[in-house]
Amino acid sequence: MSKKISTAYSDPAPVYVPVDADFRLKDNAGEIAIDTNFASQNFWKDVLVRFFRKGGAVFGLIMIVVITLFAIIGPGMNEYTYSGQELSQKNLAPRVPGLENLGIFDGSETMRTTTGSMKVNNYEDKGLTDTYYWFGSDNFGRDIWTRTWSGARVSLIIAVAAALIDMIIGMSYGLISGYFGGKTDMVMQRILEIANGVPRLVIVTLLLLVLKPGMLTIIFALMLTEWVGMSRIARAEMLKLKEQEFVLASRTLGAGSFFIIFREVLPNIIGPIITQVMFSIPTAIFTEAFLSFVGLGIPVPQCSLGSLISEGFNSFTTHPFQIIPPIIVMALLMLSFNLVADGLREALDPKMKEM
Amino acid sequence: MKKYILKRLLTAFFTLLAIILILFILMQLMPGSPFNDEKLKESQKAALYAKYGLDQPIVVQFFRYVLNIFQGDFGVSYKISKNTPISQLIQTRLPVSVMVGGVAVVIGAIVGMLLGLLAALKHDTIWDTLATIISVIGVSVPSYVFALALSYTLGFQLQWFPMLFSTKDMMGSTVLPSVSLSMFTMASIARFTRSEMLEVLGSDYMLLAESKGISGGSLIFRHALRNALIPIITVLAPLIVDLMTGSLVVEKIFSIPGVGSLLVNAIQSNDYNVVISLSFIYSAMYILIMLVVDILYGVIDPRIRLAKKGE
Amino acid sequence: MNRKAVIALLTVSAMAVSSLGLGTIASADEVQASTSDLNIMIETPVESLDPQQATDGTSFEVIADFTDGLMQMDEDGAAVPALAESYEVSEDGLSYTFHLRDAVWSNGEPVTAADFVFAWQRAVDPDIASEYSYMLSDIGQVVNAQEIIDGEKDKSELGVTAVDDKTLQVELNVPVSYFLSLMYFPTFYPVNEAFYESVGDVYGTSPETVLSNGAFVLDDYEPAANAFHLTKNEDYWDAARVSLPGLNYQLVQDSQQALQNYQLGVLDTTLVNGEQVDQVKDDPEFQTIGAGYLWYVSPNQDKVPELANLNIRLALTHAINREAITEDVLKDGSLPTYTAVPPQFAAGPDGSDFSADQELFAEVCSYDPDKAAEYWAAGLEELGIEGLDVEMVVDADDAPQKVAQVLKEQWETTLPGFTVTLVIEPKKQRVEDMQEGDFDLGLTRWGPDYADPMTYLGMWITDNSNNYGLWSSEDYDAIIAECTTGDLCTDAEGRWARLYDAEQIVMDEAVIFPLYTQANAEMLSSAVTGIEFHPVALNRVYKNAVKAE
Repeated sequence: MSKKISTAYSDPAPVYVPVDADFRLKDNAGEIAIDTNFASQNFWKDVLVRFFRKGGAVFGLIMIVVITLFAIIGPGMNEYTYSGQELSQKNLAPRVPGLENLGIFDGSETMRTTTGSMKVNNYEDKGLTDTYYWFGSDNFGRDIWTRTWSGARVSLIIAVAAALIDMIIGMSYGLISGYFGGKTDMVMQRILEIANGVPRLVIVTLLLLVLKPGMLTIIFALMLTEWVGMSRIARAEMLKLKEQEFVLASRTLGAGSFFIIFREVLPNIIGPIITQVMFSIPTAIFTEAFLSFVGLGIPVPQCSLGSLISEGFNSFTTHPFQIIPPIIVMALLMLSFNLVADGLREALDPKMKEM
Repeated sequence: MKKYILKRLLTAFFTLLAIILILFILMQLMPGSPFNDEKLKESQKAALYAKYGLDQPIVVQFFRYVLNIFQGDFGVSYKISKNTPISQLIQTRLPVSVMVGGVAVVIGAIVGMLLGLLAALKHDTIWDTLATIISVIGVSVPSYVFALALSYTLGFQLQWFPMLFSTKDMMGSTVLPSVSLSMFTMASIARFTRSEMLEVLGSDYMLLAESKGISGGSLIFRHALRNALIPIITVLAPLIVDLMTGSLVVEKIFSIPGVGSLLVNAIQSNDYNVVISLSFIYSAMYILIMLVVDILYGVIDPRIRLAKKGE
Repeated sequence: MNRKAVIALLTVSAMAVSSLGLGTIASADEVQASTSDLNIMIETPVESLDPQQATDGTSFEVIADFTDGLMQMDEDGAAVPALAESYEVSEDGLSYTFHLRDAVWSNGEPVTAADFVFAWQRAVDPDIASEYSYMLSDIGQVVNAQEIIDGEKDKSELGVTAVDDKTLQVELNVPVSYFLSLMYFPTFYPVNEAFYESVGDVYGTSPETVLSNGAFVLDDYEPAANAFHLTKNEDYWDAARVSLPGLNYQLVQDSQQALQNYQLGVLDTTLVNGEQVDQVKDDPEFQTIGAGYLWYVSPNQDKVPELANLNIRLALTHAINREAITEDVLKDGSLPTYTAVPPQFAAGPDGSDFSADQELFAEVCSYDPDKAAEYWAAGLEELGIEGLDVEMVVDADDAPQKVAQVLKEQWETTLPGFTVTLVIEPKKQRVEDMQEGDFDLGLTRWGPDYADPMTYLGMWITDNSNNYGLWSSEDYDAIIAECTTGDLCTDAEGRWARLYDAEQIVMDEAVIFPLYTQANAEMLSSAVTGIEFHPVALNRVYKNAVKAE
């Protein structure tokens, strides 16, 4: 397209007579058809419309709902429990009723050993005609289906709890710091710098060593490190809004500082805050997985997606089916939260000026 | 400007002091000692504590440590490499982490930018979707899973690259760890480049440049990308520190003698001095790079300088 | 400054940092690496090359590669002369005289008795604060060792003297039946004083700051290195026996990587974990090697009154299916163990294994769910309770976590009303909790310090810091005293028989629930023969190893 214009310029003729080919319609018929200027649309309705127009974001949302549903009902869908062991039925490959007749998920696996590979079906070898492990069983004979969804449940609880607490702490901190400004802001920002300067993994690992291990400790450790980003955003938004007329009006009417912060400003910045929460959930899942990897995750026999992956690591070459379900669920969760966060950000701020 | 930098340096200094103090307190709370708890008698443990000055009150230990640091003395390791000066340990290991991380940053930044560029130029086509999928996978899968997959396929089955880091084959053995580490950077940069480029491409000055008759490649690289690059660099900065100071798990998998694996070992064996010193260096690098970025950013973009004044 | 300059600056600084990285990484080009070097995998890095400071297995193994002591281990773990050409023991067993052979350090200096005196004095010197000083005091019983450690006497008063350059005399407080076998322990290895003084604080941190008098010479090493190399020592007194041109150590902490590199031939030997055993168990190169550690559960009788009930303790120990733990979960060749002293490390006066008979205490320690249920019911009735909730502290490492999960399941299914909550902690924390008595049940391990049952039985005397359960028995204390410092010191057979009496008490009272004796599953290339494996002191010895081309 630019070529066309440049040839037009290099035309030697002293007087140039425009022709039809010099003009083209901007291909934006779809956009201009919607008259946003005059539609007195509610802001949130608008956001929803924009959000649901994004295929990826909708997909993400659906996946999150589906995984959450399975995390709730999945562990109860068969007779196994997440900790119940049956050592005689260990390392069985996935077997699903119905599908097994199609030659997939029929409980057979190819054992590749250093002395050659062979296809075995341990269900048949052990005479377990009525036993089905949908995702297979692990090295203790525990059902991987049940463990994967219990793990997803634990990971989700940790991530969502950590993200929500971060939101409350970080948001309040940022809003207060930004609103009062001056000395308060100075002191609070210095504290924030210190919190930000300590390597995140160092502080999390040390905390886990000092405190008793468990889900609450992990949430606490994640909470301590993740609120910084949130407070930055809240503060920036506050700085932008606090000089605006509606705040001034509220103050003139005699509203107190905290009323202004939480009742006047907060509702106006909830968009970027929610987006940030969506982004911090995958970070929390990641960090939890890392902790499991260095042996400081959720205590056994409980499991999280991270601990399932690090357990599966050891049998990756012998029984690869054990590591696949947690990796897929984790990747899907991360993907979905990222897609939803992306979609939200674009829906809330179509010009993507923020962040 | 000078005053601003001076102020920032001063706060950086106090921030570091506070960080050391926090680490000291956490260390104090940690269970066990760096020594062989299981087989040592109380009297022997007391002798070891006395030898390393660990029996002193924490305030004394703190000030002594800080004073020593300013003389370039980080103390000695108590456990993971007994009595070795930590400066010597770090001297040989930091460059390895910096190199592996540096290669990862370069790969991640270049590939990420190209991907983002492709996605933005071919907006709403199959290329865009493809690039988006790749970049989303990059942020969705932990780097150690990439490390595992890469070392199994490229290292073990195809035998293209050595699976263990070796100083004898630095080039070859850096490939797998660097690529696994670069995935996250690549994905983040690709996403960011895409949205920046979309914004730049839609801006008025691009329309102007286009109408002035600037052609394809030059238009994209000289005008669009250059403008998108500045914010990308600020995103890159913290990623650089993260990668250069070593990825804990990837270093373990590929047996890389870097600072990340050193830190993990030190934490697990309560080697207080090593943990504090490495964290100190890590924090110092982080604060320094952020400071440099902030200053540069202010220099480049007058809008930010004005905004700062307004604060 | 404009944008272009900024970008240029960033690029330049990035390049500078990278090249700085490349420039300062030590290059290993000068090393005489050979393809017939033995490629050895280690799981943890070397902590110290100073024989009096080292405390871990890897360090001991490497120190022994380049240093000889007075004695060395033969294939079966017995002490045979090394730097000592011969030795004499006085009749009362209190005095040992070693005659040194002609051997040289790698700087050409001869190895003299003074080198040993210097090293041993370092081991007990409070300024050095060696963690293994108890090898000389509690275990070796060298005269004045304890007093010097406590700072009451000067180190020159230690009961070891250089009679002349080639004669070393050692005085002991009481006869120590296993004293010769201590002499291959690295804490007792010599250090050349002149050389030590010349390098000062950095002793043992690089090839230039260590001296070798052993089979190999260190030629590429840096502190906490992930890879390092040793070359054959041509001046070694026994050089004719050493056939390997060198040793190539490689640290690998990920088990997948280790096995795959072994399969590619990068490593000649590697550890494999329980899950990988399925993959390699039919391989002729697969083998399991005893590691000496006894894993056991210690019930805290002091803190939990229910665990002070003998029936409850017997129920717990009978409910454990040790075979299932070793066969189905660990799979690394670990031996189910039913004795308080693990098998395969302590040989008696007649050369037989102290714990060869694992059925010896079958009456009080076996897998028998019915018996367990009976004891359990009886115990509950005596206590007048319906059930019992306890916690078990467990190390946050792979194997202990696996074992603990199986134990929990076995106990809870066999003993109605019994609930165990696992408390997974980093090892340091677990040890501290147990030492402070802050636990109900503890899953713990103990590795032998020397080849005698006393290294285990000595633990359960009253007030020993490793007697975590705070169990106490006067009879038991008396037997142990009799065997360590009393009448039986010089009567090997009598002492041996008496040690069984002590073990019987521990087992009858279910002071601990022994679980298994740890073994390591390893791959060893069929091209390599002659590596000697030991559960005590030096885990692997390469002096006699041969690698076929």
